[in-house]
Amino acid sequence: MKKIILTLALTMLTGIVMAQNAKIPENVTIKTLDGKTIETSVIKNDGKPIIISFWATWCKPCNRELNAIKEVYNEWQEETGVKLVAISIDDTRSASKVKPHVDGNGWEYEVYLDQNQDFKRAMNVVNVPHTFLINGNGEIVWQHTSYVDGSEEELFELVKKVANGEEIK
Amino acid sequence: MKRTSKIIFATALFFQLPLWGTAQGILGGHVTGNVQFDGQVSRRDTVIGSNDVPEKLLSNARADILYTNGNFSAGLRYEAYLNPMLGFNSQYSGQGIANYFVSYKTQTFAVTAGHFYEQFGNGMTLRAYEDRYLGLDNAIRGIDIVYRPWNGVTIKGLVGQQRYYWDTRGLVRGFDAEVSLNDVVKSLTDAKTRLTLGGSFVSKYEGDETVLSDVSGYKLNLPNNVGAASVRMDLSHGGFGLQAEYARKGQDPSIMNNYIYKNGEALWLSASYSQKGLSANLQAKRVDNMGFKSVRSVSGEMLYINYTPSITKQHTYAFLSMYPYATQSTGEMGLQADFMYKFKKETVLGGKYGTDIHINGSLITGLDTTVIGGKGTDGYTTSFFGTGDTYYGDISLEVAKKISSKVKITATYGYMVFNPIVEGHEGDLHHNHILVGDLTWKINRKNVLRFEAEWMGSDSHYDVAIDDKRCGDWIMGLVEYNFTSAWFVSISDQYAYNDGIGNYYNISIGYTKNATRLQVGYGKQREGIICIGGVCRQVPASNGLTFSLTTSF
Repeated sequence: MKKIILTLALTMLTGIVMAQNAKIPENVTIKTLDGKTIETSVIKNDGKPIIISFWATWCKPCNRELNAIKEVYNEWQEETGVKLVAISIDDTRSASKVKPHVDGNGWEYEVYLDQNQDFKRAMNVVNVPHTFLINGNGEIVWQHTSYVDGSEEELFELVKKVANGEEIK
Repeated sequence: MKRTSKIIFATALFFQLPLWGTAQGILGGHVTGNVQFDGQVSRRDTVIGSNDVPEKLLSNARADILYTNGNFSAGLRYEAYLNPMLGFNSQYSGQGIANYFVSYKTQTFAVTAGHFYEQFGNGMTLRAYEDRYLGLDNAIRGIDIVYRPWNGVTIKGLVGQQRYYWDTRGLVRGFDAEVSLNDVVKSLTDAKTRLTLGGSFVSKYEGDETVLSDVSGYKLNLPNNVGAASVRMDLSHGGFGLQAEYARKGQDPSIMNNYIYKNGEALWLSASYSQKGLSANLQAKRVDNMGFKSVRSVSGEMLYINYTPSITKQHTYAFLSMYPYATQSTGEMGLQADFMYKFKKETVLGGKYGTDIHINGSLITGLDTTVIGGKGTDGYTTSFFGTGDTYYGDISLEVAKKISSKVKITATYGYMVFNPIVEGHEGDLHHNHILVGDLTWKINRKNVLRFEAEWMGSDSHYDVAIDDKRCGDWIMGLVEYNFTSAWFVSISDQYAYNDGIGNYYNISIGYTKNATRLQVGYGKQREGIICIGGVCRQVPASNGLTFSLTTSF
C-alpha cells in the first residue's frame, strides 16, 4: 500500500517537471462555410504560429479587430508565417450571414462555424472577442479577451516571439 | 496509511494544485476552465422601478473545470446563485454541481454521458444550449452518440432529460443524419457545386394529466408521445448559397398553445450571394404553432427542445436594440434582407481608406388565422401566404469610414416599427427614428478614445397604466477611454427629453489582463429586454453597484 502511494505521489511530482501547455482539442466538431461538418484537427499551420479568434457577426469589437488585422495580414504572414483562424459563434439567427459577412469585408482568413458552441466551451471562451495564440507544437501559449483599437500591434509582437521560438511570459 | 506516506502524498498533491490553475499536465492530460462572478448591490428607485433588495448583495457565480486527455474529456460546472441577480428566475436560488459529463471522441465515433449540448440542423427540431447571461440552460442529461461511418456522413442519436433549474424533467429522444454529397460521391469531390442534405426526428414522452376541454368539458386525451421531424439542405456554388429547412410537429396540446391539437409547422429559407467587398443575403421564414417543450404544462423560457430563430438583425447600439424582437413560436412570418458593399480605396466615395456601407431591412407579421375554437379543438386555420398584424419592422443604413490613420467614424440611421402585442400589451404601433454617431480616435498606440451619440424620436408616449419606460424621445451620449488593451473607463447617459421618463447614467471601469477581466459599474440599468445570442429576456431595472469578474485558464 505504502509503495503504491509513494509511486503515485512521485508520478504526480514528476508531472510538475513534465508540465506542458494545453493543446487545441482535436476532435471537436465545427463546420466549414459551405456546410460541411469537420473536426478541429484541421486547424494546422506546418509548425508556424496560429491565431484563433472567436467572433460573431453582431460583435462590433470583433469586427474592428478582424478588419484591423486584415490591413496588415499579408505583412504578418510574410514576416512570421502566421495563420489566423476565425471561429464564428453565430447561432442559427445569423450563421447563414457569416459567409456573406466574411466576403463582404474581404477577409482572407480561414473561417469556421461553431454553431453549437462546442469549440467555444472546449476552449473556455466566455465572451467574444477571445483570441488565442498557438505555437508550432499546437500549444496554447497566450490568450486574451476583448479588443481595443491598436491592440493588434501587441498581438503581433507576441506572434513574432512565438515564430522565433521564444517563451511568452 | 502511515503518517509519512500521508505527508508525502499531501505534499505531492499540494504541489500539483498550482498546475491545475495554469492548464498544466496531470497524468498526461490537461485541466482548463473558466470562472465567472457577477454581483450587484441595488438601491430602490421609484422612477426607474427597481425594487428593494432585502439581501443587499445579489450574486451569480460559476466555474467550469474541464479535463482533457487525448480522446477522453470530462467536465463539471459549479453554479452558485446567492441569491440570483435581478432578472434571473428565483428557482435558481442555491448552489451545487449543475453540470457534469464524461466524453470519448475519435475521428469516427463520439459518446458523451452526462450533460450535453446538441443541435440538429438549424435547431428547428432540437437545440440544447445555454446562455449564461440570460439564465437559460436547457442542457440534456443523458447519452449523446455521434457516428461517422464514412467521410461526409454524420449520424447522431440521443436520449435524456432536460435541465429545469436544479432539476431535470421530461424525456427526449432524437436522431439526426447528415450527408455531404461531395464527399460521398467520388466524382463530385472537386465540384464547384456543394450540397449537404440532412434530416432529423425528435420525440418526447410525458405521462397523463387532467386538462378539461373547452368544447365538451371532459378531460382531454393528451398524447403521451409527440414527434417532430425536419428535412434540410445547404447548397453552394461559388459565391451563391441557398439553405432551407422545413419542420413539422405532431399534435402537441400545451399551455403555450392553449391546449389545441393543430400540427406545428416551420419553414426557413436563406439565399445569399457574396464576392470580395460585396454581399447580399435574403431570409424568409414561416412559423406556425412550433413551440416544442419537454413538459406541456410549463410556460416561460425553460424546457424548450427546439429553437425557432428570429431572423431580424441583431442590433447592438442601445436605441436600435431597445425594442428587440423574439420569435413568436405560436405563429409568424418574416422577411429579412442584408446588403454590404465596400467602396474601394482611392475612389470618389471610397476616399483614401475605403468606405463600408451596410443596409438591412426586415418585416415580421402574424399569420392570417381563422379561429375554430379553444382547448381541445384544432384552434385555428391559416392560409399559407396570408399575413396578419405587423409585429415588427426595421430598416437601417450604416456607413463606416476611416477618415485618417487615427480616426474612424460610423454613422447609422434606423427606422423601426414595433407592435406592443408581441410583449402581450394592447396599444398602437410604435414608430421610431434613430440616429447613431460613433467615433473612435486612436490618439497614439496606447490611448484610444471613443464617442457615441444617439437620438431616438418616437410617436409613443409614456403611459402610467402600461408603464413601458422605453416610450418617448431620447438622447444618449457615451465617452469611453482605453489605455492599452488593459484599462477602460466609460461614462454614459440616456435621457428622455420628451414624452418619456427616465435618466439612466452609468460609469464603468474595467481591467483586462490576458483572459481575465474585471469590471465595476455604478448607475442605473434600464428595465427591458436584453438579447444575447438571439434570445431575448426581460430584465428588471436595477440601480446601484455592479461588478463582474471572468477568467479562463
